Amino acid sequence: MMASWTALSLAGCASVAYTSSDPGEGTPASITVGPGGSPSGRGRTGTDRTTVPTVGAPESMEMPEIQDYELDNGLRVVLVERHALPLVSLELQFRGGASAHEPRLAGLASLTADMLDEGTSTRSALQIGDAVDLLGASLSSTAGYDASQLRLLVLRTHFEAALDIVADVVVHPTFPEAELERLRRERLARVIQRSDVPAALADDAFAEVLYGDGHPYGVSLLGTKESLESLTRDEVVAFHHARCAPGQGALIVAGDVTREALDSMLTRAFSGWTGRGQDPPAPPGHVAAAQRTIYLVDKPGATQSEVRVGRVAADRRTDAYYSLAVANTVLGGSFTSRLNSKLREEKGYTYGAGSYFDLRRFPGPFQASAAVATPVTDSAVAEFVQEIDRMHEEAVPAPELDRARNYLALRLPQRFESLDDVVGRLSELVLYGVPLDFYSGYVAGVEAVDARETLAVASEYLRTSGMAIVIAGDRASIEEPLRALGLGPVVVLEPRAPSQAGG
Amino acid sequence: MGWRIRGAALAAAALGLLATTAFAQEDRGPVEVYIPYTQFTLANGLNVIVHEDRSLPVASVNLWYHVGSKNEKPGRTGFAHLFEHIMFEGSAHVPEGDFDNLLEAAGGVNNGSTGNDRTNYWENIPANALELALWLEADRLGFLLETMTQEKLDLQRDVVKNERRQGVDNQPYGNAFETVYENLYPADHPYHWPVIGSMDDLSAATLDDVKAFFRTYYAPNNASLSIAGDVSLSRVRALVGKYFADIPSGPPIPTVDVPDATLAADRPVVLEDAVQLPRLYVAWHAPKVFTDEDAALDVLASVLTEGKSSRLYKRLVYDEQIAQDVSAFQDGQELAGTFWIIATAKPDVGLERIATAIREELDRVVSGGVAAAERERAVNGVETDFVRSLERVGGFGGKADRLNEYHFLAGTPGWARKDLDRYRRVTEGGLADVARRWLAGVPAVWLSVVPEGRPELAASAAGTEGEVRP
Repeated sequence: MMASWTALSLAGCASVAYTSSDPGEGTPASITVGPGGSPSGRGRTGTDRTTVPTVGAPESMEMPEIQDYELDNGLRVVLVERHALPLVSLELQFRGGASAHEPRLAGLASLTADMLDEGTSTRSALQIGDAVDLLGASLSSTAGYDASQLRLLVLRTHFEAALDIVADVVVHPTFPEAELERLRRERLARVIQRSDVPAALADDAFAEVLYGDGHPYGVSLLGTKESLESLTRDEVVAFHHARCAPGQGALIVAGDVTREALDSMLTRAFSGWTGRGQDPPAPPGHVAAAQRTIYLVDKPGATQSEVRVGRVAADRRTDAYYSLAVANTVLGGSFTSRLNSKLREEKGYTYGAGSYFDLRRFPGPFQASAAVATPVTDSAVAEFVQEIDRMHEEAVPAPELDRARNYLALRLPQRFESLDDVVGRLSELVLYGVPLDFYSGYVAGVEAVDARETLAVASEYLRTSGMAIVIAGDRASIEEPLRALGLGPVVVLEPRAPSQAGG
Repeated sequence: MGWRIRGAALAAAALGLLATTAFAQEDRGPVEVYIPYTQFTLANGLNVIVHEDRSLPVASVNLWYHVGSKNEKPGRTGFAHLFEHIMFEGSAHVPEGDFDNLLEAAGGVNNGSTGNDRTNYWENIPANALELALWLEADRLGFLLETMTQEKLDLQRDVVKNERRQGVDNQPYGNAFETVYENLYPADHPYHWPVIGSMDDLSAATLDDVKAFFRTYYAPNNASLSIAGDVSLSRVRALVGKYFADIPSGPPIPTVDVPDATLAADRPVVLEDAVQLPRLYVAWHAPKVFTDEDAALDVLASVLTEGKSSRLYKRLVYDEQIAQDVSAFQDGQELAGTFWIIATAKPDVGLERIATAIREELDRVVSGGVAAAERERAVNGVETDFVRSLERVGGFGGKADRLNEYHFLAGTPGWARKDLDRYRRVTEGGLADVARRWLAGVPAVWLSVVPEGRPELAASAAGTEGEVRP
């Protein structure tokens, strides 16, 4: 397989919506200065500042080719060679993540990921840490809802040695009991810490309200007190065995390494590693849209309310990808978006408001959010509802739509600046089964979205009548004003995390 | 929020200054870093730095003003940062809102930040939008006050108060850093107060303050413009001349001179907060930014808390498991530095146990020294970070930003190599030396943040009277 991704052209972009008629673009100004020198004309030079400088046509971005192939053991490899700096960035991902275990085992995927570097058949936890640090490398492993991911960034000169460690922790982890108990205690304390953070209270309640505790997206990735106390080493070992097999994995590499060199390193480092693993389970049942309801999490004395408004929306492979991206940019995906303009720049209710569609393997949440001052909580919620609903009530005016499309399309090169950027972009495509030439069509896809399409996706996904409004804040101050809004029933959620540390 | 939030008030302690920038490497030889650049000065005093990097069709315009919270007056804390917010609200030829509208329509993102010593602004743009970004920056440098209004001030005052709530008042442990600074630095030292300021002082700021501050500090002779990315030097020269050359110089900038601050004795402080796990913040006076000892303390911080076998992590988190986390960092700034150790205790663990372990481990560095492998692990991580920071032309910490930082705080933009050399020069003996001179047995602020109603969990600090704050 060889994806063609070269010469990503931005030339199809509409030019900037705010252009002037200044004909002088491209004409060198008359004033030049030299090092330490002075301009040839001082003082008021008659520079015309009244017209906005014209922004010319954007340049094309040359993307390196993507090499996409499989090793004999079934591991997919995706490589982008970039030799400008002597660095290599790598991700080894395994499909599944927290979606691959029962929701009652909350925390299993991320605990298993954490345990990878806690001991192998030839290295102790401390030896692994020392070896990575001596190489000046950074190595981390995490699990999300849809995948487990191990990430490495290292100088080219140490890449091969670091790759050996990566292979060791993935293929030969021993999950020592003592280290597991240490991490279990650490996580239990993190659960307590999380319950002190207003934003985390809102995020956790939002996920639970949307999906319920029978869906993998409804339960904590970190785990709960109950689940963490009961997870066993056998469950960790079994989860690793099912998930971390070459048949479930993909290796994404970007940086200063050639295909030939990489293949020889991989062959040596991963020799003997085989297995199909288990495919992740089928999607859970459909989650019904809710009746608009306000859920309150009490955080006594809070000076701000953490507001989340949203619903279960779309998955990553949705046909409406570009329409959702443009619609969200208008609503809450940029600084000039409606939510930020209204709640921050016009009202001063918040330091920042925004929204996003979290597109996952199964339909993920749409979420609009802000931390707003306690006394204006009701007013802010009313503005959220009005701005979200306006998206399906009226078409987006042309200048606003142009700005949103250009903001997405013209920023594309900036999203490929670092090696971690490149790996991150490709990782998402690989994980969700999107063709690797996706970004070759990105600009055209964005530019093709019109007001009719944003209206259509807003009509489907952006009606607050089917949304949950979750607020973590000072109940005594905000409950009555929120009830008075008449937006829907108000439900007070009981805290699920322990309210007091220890005994 | 999945996207940028502008106007970050950088608490001094939040700036882990790992220095950095461009590069070349012999195979298996030592990493060489440099950022090639051209520098020139306009007659009005504006310093200009240009770095060409044609690898992607992107560019960044980065403007530093040598003013921060250190220049504030009593009763107006937080003003430098509030002013930074106002800079985005339009100028004579840029109607309110258009600064962002125009940049976003061109595919640009922008932001700014305020620290104790400096304020910076940047635009990351497709290379074809260079002129737009320069026009916007020049207009707010040259023509901000023409369209300044009370409404703009009032609105951004509300935004900044929410920024303070979000980052300080409504965060667990949120008041810790400013409590440490107010105890570590005397009232007449400009690092005594927080960059974000107090609610009362934010309320007190007037339109006249805005005008006076602008006229005093926002002048070409107090600024440096750094442009990096897919640009040509000749075009940058032409455009900078066109938009910046006729902006007049301001009067000489008032200097801030303060004597070095010292603590006569350990200062224990207790803060009760809506938290469940106790946390200890220890802060010492330390060397200024870009000194050799600043680098040595940076390395020592890694030896203490980076990696599972680092001294404090291994003892507190890995072996004894009485701490949930521990971190240390050296924060060298222009007028002074601060060295921090922060540890969160496990539930119900008293902070005195953690304080004792910190004292013992610092003493052990002095008496027993540091192993070569410990130093090497730390310095290798620094080298990787240096190379990594060359990946981006823009944003906070990108190449354009780094050139300006070196210009203002090291005296020349071309300081990357010397910066890395500071770390390479650090020896095992040097690590023990800085531990002895600055940390072990040296008076510090020992702030215990404890759950409400649990003052018995606080650390007492060696032989001094405890001072309990509400």
